[in-house]
Amino acid sequence: MSEKAYSVIDRAIEQKVCIGGGNLAAAEAIAAIGYELEGFYPITPSSDVGEEISARVARGEVDMVFVPATSELAAISICAGGAMAGARVVDATSAQGLLLKMEELPAISGLRIPMVLNLATRTVSAPLNIKNDHSDLMSILGMGWLILLAKSVQEVYDMNIVALKWAEQVQLPCVVAYDGFHTSHGARRFQIFADNRIVRDFIGPKPPRDLYIDFDHPKTFGAYMNDDLINNKYQLHLAMQDAYRLLPVIFQEYAKISGRRYSMVGTVGMEDHPPVAMLILNSAAHASEDAVDRIKASGRSVGLVSMSLLRPFPADELADALSGVRTLMVADRADEYGAYRSYLANEIGALLQARHNPARILNRVYGLGGLNFSFHDAVELYDQALSADQGEAVADFDYYGHWEGDPEQQILTPPKAPAPIVEKTDISLNEKLGARMNVSVMKTIASEMPNRIDKTSACPGCGAFLNLEMVLKGIDGQVALVYNTGCAEITSSGFPFTSFKVPYAHNLFHNGSSTASGIVAYYEWLKKHGRVDRDMTLLVVGGDGSGDIGMDQLIGAAIRNHPFIYLEYDNNIYANTGAQLCYTGFKGMMTATSRVGKAQVGKTFHSKDMVEILRGTHAPYIATVCESHYEDAVMKAREAQETVRNGGFAFLKAFSTCPLNWGTKGEDGPIVARTMVETCMFPLLKIVHGITTLTYNPEALGKKRPVTDMVPLMGVASAHLLKPEYADVVADLQQEVDRRWTRLKAMHESPVL
Amino acid sequence: MKTEEEFDLCYEDELGYCNVKLVALGGDGANTIGKLLFKIAVDKLDLDGAFDAQYGSEKKGTPTDVSIRLCKLGRPVRTSGTLSTPHILAIMREQLIEPMRLNVGLQPKATVIVNTTENPAAIRDRLQLADGKIICLDATRIAAEARSRINIPVFGLLIQVLGFPDQAAREMLSATWPKVSEANLKAYEGITSAQFQDFPYDGKYKHLPYSKPQGGVIGYLTQRPGGVLINALNSSYGKTHGASRTGQMPLFNPDACIHCVKCYYACSDPGSIVFANGKMMGIDYDYCKGCNRCVMVCPDTKNGKALTKVLEADYAEVVLANEAASYKNIRKAS
Ligand SMILES: Cc1ncc(C[n+]2csc(CCOP(=O)(O)OP(=O)(O)O)c2C)c(N)n1
Ligand code: SF4
Ligand SMILES: [Mg+2]
Repeated sequence: MSEKAYSVIDRAIEQKVCIGGGNLAAAEAIAAIGYELEGFYPITPSSDVGEEISARVARGEVDMVFVPATSELAAISICAGGAMAGARVVDATSAQGLLLKMEELPAISGLRIPMVLNLATRTVSAPLNIKNDHSDLMSILGMGWLILLAKSVQEVYDMNIVALKWAEQVQLPCVVAYDGFHTSHGARRFQIFADNRIVRDFIGPKPPRDLYIDFDHPKTFGAYMNDDLINNKYQLHLAMQDAYRLLPVIFQEYAKISGRRYSMVGTVGMEDHPPVAMLILNSAAHASEDAVDRIKASGRSVGLVSMSLLRPFPADELADALSGVRTLMVADRADEYGAYRSYLANEIGALLQARHNPARILNRVYGLGGLNFSFHDAVELYDQALSADQGEAVADFDYYGHWEGDPEQQILTPPKAPAPIVEKTDISLNEKLGARMNVSVMKTIASEMPNRIDKTSACPGCGAFLNLEMVLKGIDGQVALVYNTGCAEITSSGFPFTSFKVPYAHNLFHNGSSTASGIVAYYEWLKKHGRVDRDMTLLVVGGDGSGDIGMDQLIGAAIRNHPFIYLEYDNNIYANTGAQLCYTGFKGMMTATSRVGKAQVGKTFHSKDMVEILRGTHAPYIATVCESHYEDAVMKAREAQETVRNGGFAFLKAFSTCPLNWGTKGEDGPIVARTMVETCMFPLLKIVHGITTLTYNPEALGKKRPVTDMVPLMGVASAHLLKPEYADVVADLQQEVDRRWTRLKAMHESPVL
Repeated sequence: MKTEEEFDLCYEDELGYCNVKLVALGGDGANTIGKLLFKIAVDKLDLDGAFDAQYGSEKKGTPTDVSIRLCKLGRPVRTSGTLSTPHILAIMREQLIEPMRLNVGLQPKATVIVNTTENPAAIRDRLQLADGKIICLDATRIAAEARSRINIPVFGLLIQVLGFPDQAAREMLSATWPKVSEANLKAYEGITSAQFQDFPYDGKYKHLPYSKPQGGVIGYLTQRPGGVLINALNSSYGKTHGASRTGQMPLFNPDACIHCVKCYYACSDPGSIVFANGKMMGIDYDYCKGCNRCVMVCPDTKNGKALTKVLEADYAEVVLANEAASYKNIRKAS
């Protein structure tokens, strides 16, 4: 070993105590390693990894490119691009985010791009559930990625450092998987290196590989391949074998600098050669260690096997660890539905058979959707294994922790009175009320238009349901709803309760528009065949964030001109996941992923103008609404419904207050909303068959206000802009608002624009 | 700063943990003070343990809890998730006592801190505590008077019960919120008004050991395929939003109302503002979360504003009667 390596060891003792969860540990490792680029898209429970890094970038503590993307697929593709160009890149995600990246995963391994992806494991939809299981992780086993597992917060830090070195040496991408919430969010004491140079020395310089940015020796990446493809894959197979050989070496080197020794397979109590053992992963393995101690104390002998490595599969180490076992409980936190057993059990089964180990395998699927797994549960699983070992009849495969329910009793809690159903709706109410909007009409519809939605658990003062109610007040007849994931969705259908009185569906975060297309297209077909005759107005409700990730699908529906209304409630933020940047936010806005510090002043680019983007679809009806002008909003909702009844697509965008994430008082919402309109940051307009009308022109009324009037109102999102040192950001914002406003005025003046 | 001697925790369970649990509403700041306690334990007292909050998609104003397990450094910390057997329980909203059955799982001789205006004996009966100590504190008032938040006096009591160093707690408060340090310290000191009472085991209430929830009536035999809900059967209608209000609420004075309908379109919880036959009938407090947006838009007439912001405690009977709700039927009938 070289001099330098020894000196590294000497410095190894310099570690400091940190308190936080696995996401912080991952971020600490990312900062220490000195990555050059992170692509990011928020999804619980992994979002903090990006939030922490973006904060440090803004403060100037970390010098790297941080790109908040429009989707997880975009984020990892940004990573792939950066890495092709030569950067050290990192990403983090969970659940649907991983599935959305899926298409890029084999592309990255097939292109032999080394990178690290942190995975805070979470249940995949549906049903939507933000908590932990391994259904995301287990779906990527065959993607050509290395997979390290971390049971604890400390291990998240350590594995992140090991991962990059390993990945670069074998030129493969690596996932570091740790349990969402249990490990990602539970705060623990852990240790980090006091000096980043220790980490950087450990990882070493980038091993040479073919790079895109090399104008002296230009190269082609991503060639199309026929018969040769099999050789690309065989190389990948060989690289996995190399990786398998290399990891123990890296673990050993890491032990020298950190004092923490890892092995591919971890065991507890296996040294006594117990006849009964359990194999279980991550946080549940950690919890099970307490169970082993307790069972031992009661005089019985059991062992525990867990893994730090999932890909390549540590076959030899597992075979060794399990060599004397008679009955093995394999606990899977995901079900490989319809397979002989679940993921882990199948792999272990194949391994034991190959090594002529006759141990009986019991397989339990546990902890789905975040069901907690404590040492009590581990004791129960051991009890089952011990019984089986004693010859009692115990099922080979089963679930653990599910329950039957009571078929005699279907309703969970009977409401105080029967839930009000929607009264027979009058499809010509609007017609009867006449074409003009006034206080009297507003009062009549407040009294007579049915409420299609009951209680929700949105925050006090939230604008989401206010906007929805306002729009629904303009819509008569039969309404059906489709939601994208977001606050409005989460707060209105927590099983087993629903806030809806009308047909409602939630599919995924970003595909409400496509889902609605399927529904309305089929409905039209049924109508054509005379099988239905009732009128239906379908309304899709999506947050502004779902209009980032679902922009393509929304545009597609608009171009197809499918007859439904798309309502975007725009709170300028990803509220549901904790205030990350949304493309709708204004330049300079502070969010959880666009912080303010000496190196960055909030959001670095101007707001996405969804109305102008949709203008290009030539959809028949596009309009903006705001609570400050509710008569206008109700009128536009009526017009949108007319459009739909005439077979066309209508888009409504509503400004929506979010007191929680802006840190404003609930009661201040109406002021914020009005100010957004009067500063022309949220202009009220409609585009009917391409013809633009400003439905409220504050300038013409002498009420146009500077953006500085909005700055003090939007809480932490904008308050920093009051500081004189950010005057240039505000000026830039004003200029852009005015530029867009001037164009709108011109379009308002001229029907041909 | 490290203490010379080992710090002794006042409770210990079979795994060696002293279990502290905080029960609150989202937005009360339970999470923050839980983290501060954990930080003091690790940084100042060289203890170890775990901090876990209950995470869900719940928003502001919905029940939440925070679990802190403390133990001697060296004891491997392998547990995670919400703890169900607290030694020390801090209830930041007394209205959560009954619905959350907070006595279940409490360790024998537990210490329970409650933010309330009631006395320990009354709280004991509400909680059905078998034995232990109850500490009652009007944290809401203390916080309001000090212009601080209710989590700060609760934090103060937790420091006291755990025997954590007072100085470290003060420093932590000042370092965490330098701008409101004075207000917070005032609230922190407000705990001198707390009432303590010990309740030896007298058989009045039983210890209710924690048992794993057995699952509800909707299980795999009864859940509809795909988790589909029948709107009329599974309606959120039966719920009430009362617990989401944090002290203040709108009050309706029909005499000042000009039925301008502004409140209706400013309301963030549709259903709260009841219009029937074109007239404002009042507020349905089962729906209202007390954001007071309606008060903000309600015009000032010659009789004043029809909607004003009041303290809920002063109008408990108005909330109880919840008269406006009945007008919804008028609408239906007409
Ligand atoms: C593919 C995918 N990526 C990320 C998420 C996580 N996610 C759920 S809601 C949300 C933000 C929603 O923001 P927005 O649409 O603006 O609605 P809001 O919460 O603000 O109401 C995110 C990022 C997801 N569910 N699926
Ligand atoms: S976080 Fe914001 S958008 Fe979400 S429910 Fe609360 S106020 Fe509404
Ligand atoms: Mg949003």
